[in-house]
Amino acid sequence: MIDSWNAILTIAYKEFVHVWRDRRVLLLILILPPFFTVVFGHAFGGAAIDDVPTMFFNADNSPESENFAKLLHGENIFTALVQGSDDPDKTQKDLDDLLQSLKETFTWKPWTAGNPEGPINLVKSGCQAAIVIPRGWGQAIHNGTPMPIRAVLDGTDTNTAPEVRALLQQALGSFQVNERFELIENLPVEVIDLGKQLSPDVQKEFNSSLTPWEVKASILYDPSLKFVDYVVPGMVGLILQLLTVTLIASTITREREAGTLSQLLVTPLRQSEIVVGKVLPYLIISLFLITGTIAIGHFHFGIKIHQPLQLCVICLLFLLCSLGLGVLISAVSKTQTQAVQFSIFLLLPIMMLSGAFAPLGQLPFSVRIFSELFPLTHFCRAFRSVNLYRANWDLIAGDLIALAIGAVVTCVGAAYLLRTAEE
Amino acid sequence: MRTPLIVLKDLAKRFGKRFAVNRISMSISKGDIFGFLGANGAGKTTTIRMLCGLSKPTSGAARIDGLDVWKDRFRIRSKFGYVSQRFSMYPDLTVCENIRFFAGAYRVPKHQFEERVSRMMQEMNLDSYTHIRAGRLSGGYKQLLSIACALIHEPKVLFLDEPTAGLDPVHRHRIWDLLYKVSQSGTTIFVTTHYMDEAERCSEVGFIQKGRLIAKGTPQDLKKRLGGDVLELHVEPAVAAVLELRKFPGVDAVDLRSGRLRIHAKDPDSLLKQWHQQWPFSGLAWLGYSWVEPDMEDVFNAFTLGYQFRPQAELEPANQ
Repeated sequence: MIDSWNAILTIAYKEFVHVWRDRRVLLLILILPPFFTVVFGHAFGGAAIDDVPTMFFNADNSPESENFAKLLHGENIFTALVQGSDDPDKTQKDLDDLLQSLKETFTWKPWTAGNPEGPINLVKSGCQAAIVIPRGWGQAIHNGTPMPIRAVLDGTDTNTAPEVRALLQQALGSFQVNERFELIENLPVEVIDLGKQLSPDVQKEFNSSLTPWEVKASILYDPSLKFVDYVVPGMVGLILQLLTVTLIASTITREREAGTLSQLLVTPLRQSEIVVGKVLPYLIISLFLITGTIAIGHFHFGIKIHQPLQLCVICLLFLLCSLGLGVLISAVSKTQTQAVQFSIFLLLPIMMLSGAFAPLGQLPFSVRIFSELFPLTHFCRAFRSVNLYRANWDLIAGDLIALAIGAVVTCVGAAYLLRTAEE
Repeated sequence: MRTPLIVLKDLAKRFGKRFAVNRISMSISKGDIFGFLGANGAGKTTTIRMLCGLSKPTSGAARIDGLDVWKDRFRIRSKFGYVSQRFSMYPDLTVCENIRFFAGAYRVPKHQFEERVSRMMQEMNLDSYTHIRAGRLSGGYKQLLSIACALIHEPKVLFLDEPTAGLDPVHRHRIWDLLYKVSQSGTTIFVTTHYMDEAERCSEVGFIQKGRLIAKGTPQDLKKRLGGDVLELHVEPAVAAVLELRKFPGVDAVDLRSGRLRIHAKDPDSLLKQWHQQWPFSGLAWLGYSWVEPDMEDVFNAFTLGYQFRPQAELEPANQ
């Protein structure tokens, strides 16, 4: 046992020296993962939609349309809304939020689309949205026949269009409520007195129908709804997956090509000792890297780390499984070129199908079964389960077991292939 | 009675339809320096790889110290060292690191470890190269390092696959001196080579041709089995003579050695008689002839030309 352990350490030390002496690779290992984490995090993590280039045309020129135009541009035009509300503090805050997001969402462009009532070409104008207040809009409100505001949206960006539409609806809603309160405030005293003669029940009902009814949604697991929280585990996993597989895939083939493998195989070293000894230093290096990249996620992107023990176990098993996969590739390939080719063909579906960037639920069932084969799939799911859903052991047990089985199967397979490859 | 340490019985290896090694049977005694001779592709390396448990015999078997080279390959690994044809140390590790790595891999016990490593460096004259990366060593020192790593566990047998290929004479000498020293300490040596002068240095020699063992014995035995001396001519100009004589019917091969021509022929006596009667080469000056004792190269030439040899049984025992 101690004998075996010493043998493993002998190999591990040698492998470590190989990496240490190969300065170019060492530099890549140390610099690229944190670099990519930062770049990818900024590239994919910003979920808030802002600076949508938008054209605006007010064809009405009534006081109402002027007011609404100001609102769209983020000006506080509310006169009666806060005072009229049952909970002025909350209403004030909601309004501030609305104005803030209006300011952030739209970048206003001059109108270049010609006739605001005709067809509008967004691409030609370089905009993603066009908003038109039609002629007679203010008058129509007074006439009791309200007209819709015209909005033309670019549907190719599946995130932006619904967001802009929802925001417009929200702004219009608040505008309407404000108008309503203004109306009530300016009612003649007689009407108020008349109202007081109504029975209390009817009064209450009337009041209730005047205040806006709302859905109070509380979003669990991801209070800030920041995409970056979702995407960083995927990114860290993806980077480590690529790195571990490509790094270790060339180790055995390099020895095969250099002839040192024969020399190794005439020593009393067991195949299993060779495989474990080769995996060990890469495990330490990749553990160091995964800690580093997660630390960047934490300090740079503000991702909170929950249940570190579970996360550690997930990372460890994921790395073991990935390294096992790499060793297996290494044992199968005859040359380093082959090993690289194998790695690429394996990593391509892993990148696309493991749910690193998009939820797996969107994939068809048949493909999802396939993606269960990849260590990255289990890593992403388990990591998010723990970090976003605060899942406990029982919820991630399946993924952990899958990773553990993967690690054992690939390493045993590699040891076995190392044996047969020479016969 | 000399004890056989390595025993091959009908050992064969087939790649596709071709037999790389074709039913070789022989035994090598303890303490021998066995030279395995043959042209490139004759099957030397394949044999050695089978003996080292790196390649599975197609049929037949071989044993080292009583253990089957394939079935017991995990157990016999500590019994032998193997220096492969190619330089197979880690070029990015230093000399010392390589030796220490193989000491660890061969499970040299802890209490002997340091002593063994430093002694090996000394014996191989690698002291002054301790911290040089193995890849930067010259060819001779690379070979010394390989041998050091193969001997670190004090094996009973040392296999060397063309250890002197491509080395200059000085280093070849050094390697052989070293092998003698190793042999003196009781290690049996199995070395392949295609340098015939090196065959002279072996205590026993085996010839392999196209996968078959065609002769085996001590260098003296083999020379005797050639059945006499070799005809050597003194002809000027020598280089032109080589080309002319090769074309002469009855002459199988001509070797130029120190200005004299060695004639390999089935019946050199009749050739000589013929030439005495009439020297057929007008452009060449006949200056005389002599009968010389064959060396291993002559033996090798004779074997590759397929000459009939006196069977070993006809030879008187060497020690009488």
